[in-house]
Amino acid sequence: MTSLTALALLPLLGALFIGIIPSAKVDLIKKFALGTTVVVAMYAIYMATQFKSSNVALQFVEKHEWIPAFGINYSVGVNGIALVLIVMSVILTPIVVLAGWHESEGGRWSAKVFYVLILVLETMMIGVFAATDIFLFYVIFEAMLIPVYFLIGGYGSGERAAAAVKFLIYSLFGGLLMLASIIGIYVNSNKLGVKSFDITVISELHNYISPMTQNLLFLGFFIAFAIKAPLWPLHTWLPDAAKAGTPGTSVLLLGVLDKVGTFGMINFCIALFPEASKTFTPVIITISVISILYGAFLAIGARDLKRLIAYTSISHFGFITMGIFAMTSQGLSGATLYMFNHGFSTAALFIVGGWMIARRGSSTIADFGGLQRITPVMAWMFFLAGMSSLALPGLSSFVSEFLVLVGTYTRYPVAAIIATFGIVLAALYILIPVQKALHGPTTPGNESLKDLNLREKIAIAPVMAAIVAFGIYPSPLLNIINPATAQVIESAGFTDPAPTENVGK
Amino acid sequence: MNTSSSIVYLIALPLFGAVALLLGGRRTDKWGHLLATAMSAGSFAVGIYQLMQMLGRSTEERAITQTLFSWISVGSFDIDAALLLDQLSICFVLLITGVGTLIHIYSISYMEHDENRRRFFAYLNLFIASMLLLVLGNSYLNLYVGWEGVGLASYLLIGFWNQKPAYATASKKAFVMNRVGDMGLSFAIMIAFATLGTTTFAGVAEASHHASEAALTAIGIMLVIAAAGKSAQFPLQAWLGDAMAGPTPVSALIHAATMVTAGVYLIVRSNFIFDAAPTAQLIVVIVGAITLIFGALIGTAKDDIKKALAASTMSQIGYMILGAGLGPAGYAFAIMHLLTHGFFKAGMFLGAGSVMHGMNDEVNMRKYGNLRKFMPITFVTFGLGYLAIIGVPPFAGFYSKDLLIETAFDAGGIKGPILGSITLLGAAITAFYMTRVMILTFTSKARWDENTHPHESPWLMWMPMAVLAVGSVTTGFLFTRGDALVNWLNPVFGDHGDHHSEHLFEPIVVSMMALTAVAIGVAIAFFKYQRADIPAVAPTQVSFFTRFARKDLGQDGFNEAVFMRPGQKLTSLLVKSDDRVVDGAVRGVGRLAISSGSWLRLSQTGFARSYAAFILIGAVALIAGIWVVTQ
Amino acid sequence: MQFTSPVLDYALLAPMLIILGGAIIGVLIEAFLSSVYRLQAQLFISVMAIITSLLSLVLVRDRLSVTAAMKTITFDGAGVLLQGSILIIALLSIFLIADQTNFTAAAATVPGSAQEREAVQAQSRTTEVFPLTLFAVAGMMLFTVATDLITLFVALEVLSLPLYLMAGLARNRRLASQEAALKYFLLGAFASAFFIFGASFIYGYSSSLTYSGIQAAVVGGAGNDVFLLLGMALISVGLLFKIGAFPFHAWTPDVYQGSPTAITAFMAAATKVAAFGAILRLFYVVFANAEWEWKPAAVVIAIATMVFGSLVAITQRDVKRMLAYSSIAHAGFLLSGVIALNKAGLDASIFYLLSYGIATVGAFAIVTIIRDSSGEVTDLNRWSGLGKRSPVVASTFAFFLLAFAGIPLTSGFIGKFSIFSAAYESGSLAILIAGVLSSAIAAFFYIRVIVLMFFKDPVEDGTSVVLPSALTTIAITIAAVVTLVLGVFPAPVLNFIESTATFIR
Repeated sequence: MTSLTALALLPLLGALFIGIIPSAKVDLIKKFALGTTVVVAMYAIYMATQFKSSNVALQFVEKHEWIPAFGINYSVGVNGIALVLIVMSVILTPIVVLAGWHESEGGRWSAKVFYVLILVLETMMIGVFAATDIFLFYVIFEAMLIPVYFLIGGYGSGERAAAAVKFLIYSLFGGLLMLASIIGIYVNSNKLGVKSFDITVISELHNYISPMTQNLLFLGFFIAFAIKAPLWPLHTWLPDAAKAGTPGTSVLLLGVLDKVGTFGMINFCIALFPEASKTFTPVIITISVISILYGAFLAIGARDLKRLIAYTSISHFGFITMGIFAMTSQGLSGATLYMFNHGFSTAALFIVGGWMIARRGSSTIADFGGLQRITPVMAWMFFLAGMSSLALPGLSSFVSEFLVLVGTYTRYPVAAIIATFGIVLAALYILIPVQKALHGPTTPGNESLKDLNLREKIAIAPVMAAIVAFGIYPSPLLNIINPATAQVIESAGFTDPAPTENVGK
Repeated sequence: MNTSSSIVYLIALPLFGAVALLLGGRRTDKWGHLLATAMSAGSFAVGIYQLMQMLGRSTEERAITQTLFSWISVGSFDIDAALLLDQLSICFVLLITGVGTLIHIYSISYMEHDENRRRFFAYLNLFIASMLLLVLGNSYLNLYVGWEGVGLASYLLIGFWNQKPAYATASKKAFVMNRVGDMGLSFAIMIAFATLGTTTFAGVAEASHHASEAALTAIGIMLVIAAAGKSAQFPLQAWLGDAMAGPTPVSALIHAATMVTAGVYLIVRSNFIFDAAPTAQLIVVIVGAITLIFGALIGTAKDDIKKALAASTMSQIGYMILGAGLGPAGYAFAIMHLLTHGFFKAGMFLGAGSVMHGMNDEVNMRKYGNLRKFMPITFVTFGLGYLAIIGVPPFAGFYSKDLLIETAFDAGGIKGPILGSITLLGAAITAFYMTRVMILTFTSKARWDENTHPHESPWLMWMPMAVLAVGSVTTGFLFTRGDALVNWLNPVFGDHGDHHSEHLFEPIVVSMMALTAVAIGVAIAFFKYQRADIPAVAPTQVSFFTRFARKDLGQDGFNEAVFMRPGQKLTSLLVKSDDRVVDGAVRGVGRLAISSGSWLRLSQTGFARSYAAFILIGAVALIAGIWVVTQ
Repeated sequence: MQFTSPVLDYALLAPMLIILGGAIIGVLIEAFLSSVYRLQAQLFISVMAIITSLLSLVLVRDRLSVTAAMKTITFDGAGVLLQGSILIIALLSIFLIADQTNFTAAAATVPGSAQEREAVQAQSRTTEVFPLTLFAVAGMMLFTVATDLITLFVALEVLSLPLYLMAGLARNRRLASQEAALKYFLLGAFASAFFIFGASFIYGYSSSLTYSGIQAAVVGGAGNDVFLLLGMALISVGLLFKIGAFPFHAWTPDVYQGSPTAITAFMAAATKVAAFGAILRLFYVVFANAEWEWKPAAVVIAIATMVFGSLVAITQRDVKRMLAYSSIAHAGFLLSGVIALNKAGLDASIFYLLSYGIATVGAFAIVTIIRDSSGEVTDLNRWSGLGKRSPVVASTFAFFLLAFAGIPLTSGFIGKFSIFSAAYESGSLAILIAGVLSSAIAAFFYIRVIVLMFFKDPVEDGTSVVLPSALTTIAITIAAVVTLVLGVFPAPVLNFIESTATFIR
């Protein structure tokens, strides 16, 4: 039986059980949390196998009345795009739990609270990608902030409270703009003769409203997503949050939650307001290119490992957004694949980086040095993660990055060309920390660092496996993604540009 | 085109070796190097087998492909993981695996005392695998994978002793500058897909017939950038010298024989583009010409034996690029020079390694001298390579270089004489600096201190050197006999019949000129160094030119001034502005809200009278407001 | 001329009469029952009165009539809902009031005087607050159903006078409390003057005091528009004062802070329902056709109120003042329901009033149990670290704050959504934007309190949570549960309101 609701409720159930375990039994709680997340992951993968990639319609659809007064339904379902993101999320969660086995200790509250928050968050991560009712999506989109807020503020380090607040205010602000747009949709939806929030219904709305209205509604959504994703210049919350949060939290934050932004751009901005999307594309492409280079430069200039990773993500989100709004099948499929791959490469960076930081007791890059000789395995893992972050061919992120570039080039050559300079900068922002942290003579204070233990090796293995495997053989993902993206592009009224030179062919 | 299912083994074997050694970790320390060598040798064997097969087939049937699986397929962007083995790639396969295997063997002994020898061999295998993928991929995207793969291997090997910060920096520099080139390759692929709708060699070749020259020129120029990056050609040459930080076998294999020639392969492989894009072709020639002089000049000033050889590599590849830029006439000769160079340059690098091995890793030639007494074998093998590179008949280099010079003269129009004389000049300078190396190292008076005890290297080291020496003696003759190599390769270039329509000079004349040039170079060097005694420390009172050449003709200074420092400035500027401007604006909004709040708060005096006043004012305002609206 | 005796429909008046009866019994108890039993007796009477009143309301809910008492009281769906809301809130407030420890021993004594000390020793109680509350409740109920300006004025005074007294009954900081009471009284009287002044203009305009008469005049447009204009404006002043709309808000913070917290809760919640009930009826029924004259001004006031309340609340250091300003902001949000002037607006306003009222009572209830040796602690700085000391209380308070902030899965969110969409539906985009933005500002200070409670370390100053009395606990629990249920599963209530809420003319 394949039910998104069941999938989403599993972690919540786990959270309830953990709730009744006495806080003292920390180890039991951890094991239980791990078990739950693993079960969820396996269930999700099983569902993925049941997914009919040939069928472009939403699948695993469920629909129940929720607030009839406003025509709001509890309705869920997935297309290829949502599916891969859900799979990514639920695979990352157990990895985060296992990798950050001790993260919950030394927080403001008990380990119990930590894992309850994580599991509640997982439920929402599944729900937010599965929701096909705009109102339901919004509810989860906003509610998600709370557990993350407490995870950062309660278990983070350094300026955790300030970072948590910054994150929350930014997101709430975006969320409220989106709320305005949702209200706009709700009020205008009577032009369709039905009060409804169903995406498939609302996707007709753009035929009935004035361009001005459409643009405003679009902006409400887009700004919210641009904050989430984050794009320049709305990005400044991310480095702080990523630095303050535990590595696990940061993985979920950058790996999954930020994807809600880019996912929303596809599923709401473009699907609901195609004309407005066309109108704003030039601006958005520009912003994306700026984000790519800007994030890269700041990563190069970063002194703190976690901030560095955060800035690389800003650059990567620039690529994703650019691919989305290039509106070509390569661009959109590439962007979707990018979301999946970025999840894993960022997870790798943050997890391994987190281990390094935990061992060294500092996140300043300059404090490391010569790790390759002290902790070879850890150093290798960090290096591999870095390679995947700079999109080395043969690793998964190359496929997606190149698809994005090619897909963008066919419609916006200039943007693509400028963006490509990002790959040189990427080499710098990865190799600089690699040289400082892993190469060179051993800096004092590092001599006695321990290499990865078995648990850590087990935790990181699947991530690396995914990075390599999907770099060599991405077809399983592309087969799921392509039909969905093709359909988005078609319904938005676009077609891939034909080769310009095939005269006589 | 025929298909085969055995090409993949060429790559699979070394790849397996690399993975096994990297995952196996310390467990494999004992036998790791043997496994790696075996894998490389096995791959060579497969190569020989493939060659036999190929020889067995008729000319049209020789090229074969193997499609492994569908790699990336989105819309019309449909890339298979597929391999193409034809007359061109087989040459490279044999060069890579052959020389590669020899260098594996050499390294067994050379790296014996390094605790990380296993890792070294893992990298070597990784390199072999990537390089083979580079020359076997059937599309630009597949090539790209190998292209960056060799970049990675090169990075890892240059930085093999990365505990030395300088070496770590050198490896980073190499990777980044290569990435600049790679950017060109990505552009080329994007343009190809956007304009021609395909990225396979076959597809592009087919489409190039009816594509606009503009498009092809664009692709071509991008390919030149890529080639320049990988092959250390002007203006992306600066990394090669520093790359000598890697262990000497690496310099021999990667930075002399194989990887750095990938650019030549790329251009020759893309012949269909350049044939149709003269402008791009001209750029290729210019780049080649500049670099061959540039490298040669640097070579004259280097005291570090490896850097001298590196400069010479740069210059020799300049020859090849130039040849490749001469179009159908030059492709085959470029490849021929590439192959012969692969032998003699690798041989000389191994020789240099052997010398360092005997001189406790001293690289400064001013501290050498008279080593022919102590390392006869090294002297002989190195010497044969020397004769080959300066182009003395009947050694390999003579044939290949001579043909290039010939073709340069025949380039036609004003191009011909100019290019011809440049190549001649290059030949002369080459003769000079190589003679200098020979003299400083082997023949001049000994200048090393007493606690150095030069000695010949073990057989595991000199055996490969010997084999390569044989190559540098014979290959030229073999390749040219009955135009063997030319006829073998021409089908790849769509077999344009005879290009030697009419010569500017008769071949024999060209050879004479070339030999004269060489003689002059040798003579100058001989009188300058063999006669005079050489100071053990480089004299500082030297001509501006010498100083300039010692500084690699200012290439690093230029890059620093133009790219690095401005880049660092920009970075720090952005870092500041991100905090002050972007985030500052955000914080500003917050502060604005708070301050306006505390300002409004002042209205809260606590006096009932003022509250009442508010109410009154409010009421009046309200009435006024409604009044205004209604009127 | 002959005198016709008034026709009264006692069944429809019963809910109010029962409360008044209860109040009178309360007075008698004060007069004759020994002080030992008073508290229990008063509590019993009040609770019984409210419950029976509620029951009688339920019994007659369908008997709509414009002539419950001649033309002066109209009994209709909206009236039922508003009266019901008032009663529910009153019940919860009574539970808080029952905890007498917050009330002065003897209101009549001079602060710090000997008599006061005696009274304190004698442990005498201020049980007269119960009948006072009931009188106020009766007034409020009448306020919402009065359809005659004189009746409306009487109701206004009946609900106000007891509140003036109750405001002065705080146990500690009695001077501040009495000052608050005096201010409230003076300003209230001032506002009432405006009201009655306006009423006279209206009479001058329509030569009628009944809503039906005035409405007829407005529709007919016969009278002198200047009178109508003045009348509307001045009456509005009286009513806007009660809801604390800008610039008639000034009393709110001082009074909220000075009054005993239980009374503040009652005021903040119940008064808003009553006052808005009256405003809605007045503008939906009587002045509906003069829409174009008053709406622009109303929009300005609404926006000013939201923004002012939110901005000033940021700077507050005292929890009661902070809640006071937040209630001003909410008054602004509620005004957008009046501006909407459509069925959706009415439904939304009623839902908002109910949910906000209940959450408010809950929030203030928690304030009553945060104390040190000398009584309640309202200084926010001393609330820091509350989450560590008593997580449950802190979390509940945080939950109420999130409801005020309108975070999804709380009743506050549904309220905001419905009221803003109603406003936008009526075409006022400005309200929507302003509402959304000021919500963002508002979120800022709600979150600040959460940070204080959870992410700051406790200050060791004896601030602690007293074990709340059973009744307070019940009140808090009910409030929390309702806030959650109305947020997660509001359908039944929304449907009931939608089907019931009507103004009959």
